[in-house]
Formats: sequence, structure tokens, C-alpha cells
Amino acid sequence: MSRPRHLWRWVIGLGVLAGIAIGVFISTNLLRGKTDGPVQVVNAPADVVARGKYLAEAADCAACHTAPGGAPFAGGLAMPSGFGTIYATNITPDPDYGIGRWSADDFWRALHDGVRRDGQQLYPAMPYTSYRGMTREDSDAIYAYVMRLRPAQVPNVVTNLRFPFNVRLGMRGWNLLFLTDSLPAVSVGSSPAWQRGRYLVDVLGHCGECHTPRGMLGQMELSRPMTGFALGRFEAPDITPAGLAARGWTAAALRDFLGSGLTEDGSAFSDMHPVVMLSTRRLTPNDLVKAVKYLMGDTPPPPVSLPPAPAIAATSPGRTSYVALCAGCHGLDGDGIPNTVVAMRGNTTLRLTDPRNLIVSMLDGMAAQNFPYLQSMQAMPGFADKLSDQQAADLANYLRISFGGQKGDVTPAAVRALR
Amino acid sequence: MSLPTRPLTVTINGKQHGPIDVPEGMMMIDVLHEMLDLTASRLGCGQGICHACVVIWDRDDQTSETVPTCITGADFFNGKRIRTVEGIAPRNDKGEVTTLSPVQQAFLDYFSFQCGYCTPGFVNAATVLIERLRRSPIARRDVETTVAAALERHICRCTGYVRYYEAVRDLILKTPGLTRTTV
Repeated sequence: MSRPRHLWRWVIGLGVLAGIAIGVFISTNLLRGKTDGPVQVVNAPADVVARGKYLAEAADCAACHTAPGGAPFAGGLAMPSGFGTIYATNITPDPDYGIGRWSADDFWRALHDGVRRDGQQLYPAMPYTSYRGMTREDSDAIYAYVMRLRPAQVPNVVTNLRFPFNVRLGMRGWNLLFLTDSLPAVSVGSSPAWQRGRYLVDVLGHCGECHTPRGMLGQMELSRPMTGFALGRFEAPDITPAGLAARGWTAAALRDFLGSGLTEDGSAFSDMHPVVMLSTRRLTPNDLVKAVKYLMGDTPPPPVSLPPAPAIAATSPGRTSYVALCAGCHGLDGDGIPNTVVAMRGNTTLRLTDPRNLIVSMLDGMAAQNFPYLQSMQAMPGFADKLSDQQAADLANYLRISFGGQKGDVTPAAVRALR
Repeated sequence: MSLPTRPLTVTINGKQHGPIDVPEGMMMIDVLHEMLDLTASRLGCGQGICHACVVIWDRDDQTSETVPTCITGADFFNGKRIRTVEGIAPRNDKGEVTTLSPVQQAFLDYFSFQCGYCTPGFVNAATVLIERLRRSPIARRDVETTVAAALERHICRCTGYVRYYEAVRDLILKTPGLTRTTV
């Protein structure tokens, strides 16, 4: 009887030893992180810092790393996800709250491998999945710029996802499955301009992080790049060459949009508005041309022109709601008010196959927005309380058919689902 | 050439108007001014931003809300009941104003407005708020934020905001039944 008991002791003892060994292995090999260390002093040449500033804008670091009303780059923006809320961190050079002790190598690892200086895994809300394609030279330039920012003593908000997603080590497995060195091209091309555009769009701009559909585990579905996805309430639309052409986009219009947020066919709204304001409008005209060249391809498909609208009875329910609630600003004929209210005729949101963004705009309304060159678009009230599901569906269908060349296939159930 | 029209029947301040033929696309503010001789609602921005033009829409479920008439077509109000600022003060059988409503009196007492252009909108918004609190009182500590939320969309270019806000806040605090003493 005593022999098996001895055996158990041995088994338990070996188990404990193995556990300690695994723990030591993990802490020395996998979590080889640092928390203290010298405060870094970076004295990069002015031209490198200037290039870093430009690259940081092209990579749109500020949009996420600045909370509304917060200090620039001091973090704190909450990003809701299906796994919990992730908070962007302070990337000012503050030694205690920011990245003041990070070396250029640490910075590169975060951008390239998704690993923090303390060895913990980043969540892909930080788009290292796209930044992985960045050159070391560009990473160093951004680092040189960021380390010259004013340090902000703003503590990070701790991200606490629900189990098992709160185990950051699990991201190692995720990275093995989903982290790739290069993203599939959205268009066909080979010209130097197209190549540069690809770098601007896929790597720095990380456009696919919103515009590419995501799978069950939050990974970008790279078999369908840029075909559109709703991460939040609004859908980031299809921006493949075919998708853009179907909605009538030309290279010139797309350059206007990315450069100013405004075109004849609508204005940037929701999450795209800060993208334009903080990032794409800062691109040089040359880079803007190249980004558009990549999005549309070396030989862009011809834009589909808006088909003539079929006649709709003046007393139809959709037209009635339009005249009562929309025409005051958007005009009886859908022409809008220049520099104030977007036109409905040919509006790019109305030309989307998926009515989601149209329905959400109608229900929620839209805040007033400022644009470059002292332009602004006024606020739009939401009509959730003034339109029944049926009325909203009729109105959406009227708009889609009359001004968007789309089918009138919106159902009251589709409206209800978005309330 | 004639403009296409639509029939409009609407109850305003308890009195039914219409059916009258209203040109398609005519905004309600113009119908009030030009066709019904109700000229007290103010046309400000014409874009639904300043809220000087709001009227009260009384829903069938006994709730009310303000609606900007400068961007809302007359047809929206077809078959609905609304109140304009002319209908806020009590009147006698001859249609003469006998006294002011508590909101109107409070605005006078507090010297809330200077030029008065935005006042009809503020009167209507505050009236809707007071009526809402009568149905569902709020905690006293929430009064200031509630007033701000109810009035913040209204623009006053003489910047009388503080006196408007104080008038409504104090009216709520001194009127029994609008606030709860318990938290």
C-alpha cells in the first residue's frame, strides 16, 4: 500500500517541477519583456523627424492614440470589439505612462510583431497586422518623431477583455494563424506609382483594417480584401476597384474625397471623417495620386453612371416622407445645398447595395462636421422617432431608387434590426 | 403653370385648419406665416439648426416634442396636432390672452431675452420639458443637466442662455410635482 502513495508523491513532485520549468521558460523566453530601463534620448536629424511626422500622419496614429478632447497621442480612446473594449495607449515619450523608455527596436517590435516592450502581446486593434509591411527605416522615422512629442502624464486605461481573450499569450496562436508578411493586393497593377500606393494604402493607411471583412476570431478575411465590413454601426464600404466603379467613383473624385472629405457625391462621415481630417488630407498630392492609383488599379474599370431614375408617383409613401422630412435641406430634387448639405442625387451611400449606412443615417442623424479649407457640413437630425419601420423602409427605397440607381428592397424588418 | 399641391388638415392650438391646398415642398413655417396668419414662430437659419421655429407636436400617446418647422414640410403635420407659441398662454372666450404661462412669466422675471427672436423656440422647448416632468418627475440633483439637455439645441445670438437656463431651472425647482425629493 505504501508504494503507490510514494509513487503519487513522485508524480506530484515532478508535476510541480515541470510547472516551474514551464513558468521559467515562459518568463525568460516568451515574456522577455522590460518595464524599467533608461529614458531614451533621441536626437534624430530634423529631416528624419519631419519624415516621421509625415509617415505618422499617413499611418493615422493620432486617430486612435488620441482620446476625444485628450492630449495628442496620450491614448485613452475606447475601441469596442466583439471581445470587449480595447483602449489605445499613451505613445508620448513620457517615461512612466508613455513610451519614453522604448528603444527604436522596441518600437519596431510593436509595429512589426505586435509585441509590447514588456513582452506582452498587443491586440490587433493596434494594426500591426498591416504595419508589418512597414520598412525598418520608416518605423525608425516615426519613432524619431513620436519621441519628440510633448510627454503626457496620462495613465493608460487597462484593457480587460472577457475570458479567454484576456489571456494575451493567446495572441501568439492568433498571430501564427493570421499574421502575414504582406496583404493581398486589392487591384491589379505593377507601375511604381501603384507600388507606392499599395504601401500607402495597405501598410501605412491600414485601410483594410476597417474595409476588409473580419472572421469569427477578428481576423481580416484576406480572400476578400477591402470588400466592406461593418465593425461598428456604420459599414466601411467596398473600396475594391469594382466596388468603387459600381458607385461611380472616378480617380479625380476619390482624390478629392481623400484630400478634402468632400465630393459632389457625399462627404466623409463616421469613422472615415477623422481618417480624412488627420491622415489622408495630409498626403502630398503626389502620394494621393498613387494611393488612388492603387485603389483603382493601373487600369481602372470605367465608372458606372447613374441610371435614369424611374418615375415614382408624387403621392407614394416614400416620396411623401421625403418631401415632409428631407426636402427642407436636401431639396425637392435631391440637389442639397452647396457647401452645407450633401446632395442625394448620386450620393455614394445611396449607391451602396447594402442599405445599412442609409438606414443608420436616417435613424441616428449625423453631427455637424468641419472639413479642410474652412468648409463644414451642418448637422442632420435623426428621424428614429418620426418614422415607423414601414415609413423608414419606404423612404429608404424611394431614396435608393430615385437617387442611387439601387433596388427598392429595404424591408421594415431591416430597419427594425438597426434601431 | 401651377405648382402641384397637397391637401393639409392640421389642428393648431386646439383649432382645426383645412383642408387647404399647400404647394408640395412648402415648409410648415411658411404655411403658418403665409396661409394661416400665425406669425409668431420665427424663421431663423432655415436649416433646422437654430430651433427658433420649433412648434410642439402633441402625439396621440400624450407625449410631446418640438419639431423645427423650417425644414419640416407641411405634409408631415397632416392629421397631427400641434401648438405654436400663440397657443401657450391661456386665453378667454374672445381669444384674448388672460395671463402668461409659467414659462413665459419666468422668462420675463429673469430678463431671459433681449431681442426676443429666439424666444418662441425657447418657450416651446421649456413648455415641453415642464409637461414631461409633470408626467415623470426627476431627482432635484438632475435638474440642471435636464434643463441643459432640453435647451442646448436652441441658439440665442444675444447670448441670453444663462438667464433662460436659470429661469427654467428655478421654475422646475419651485413648482410642486416636477421633482422628486427622494433620489
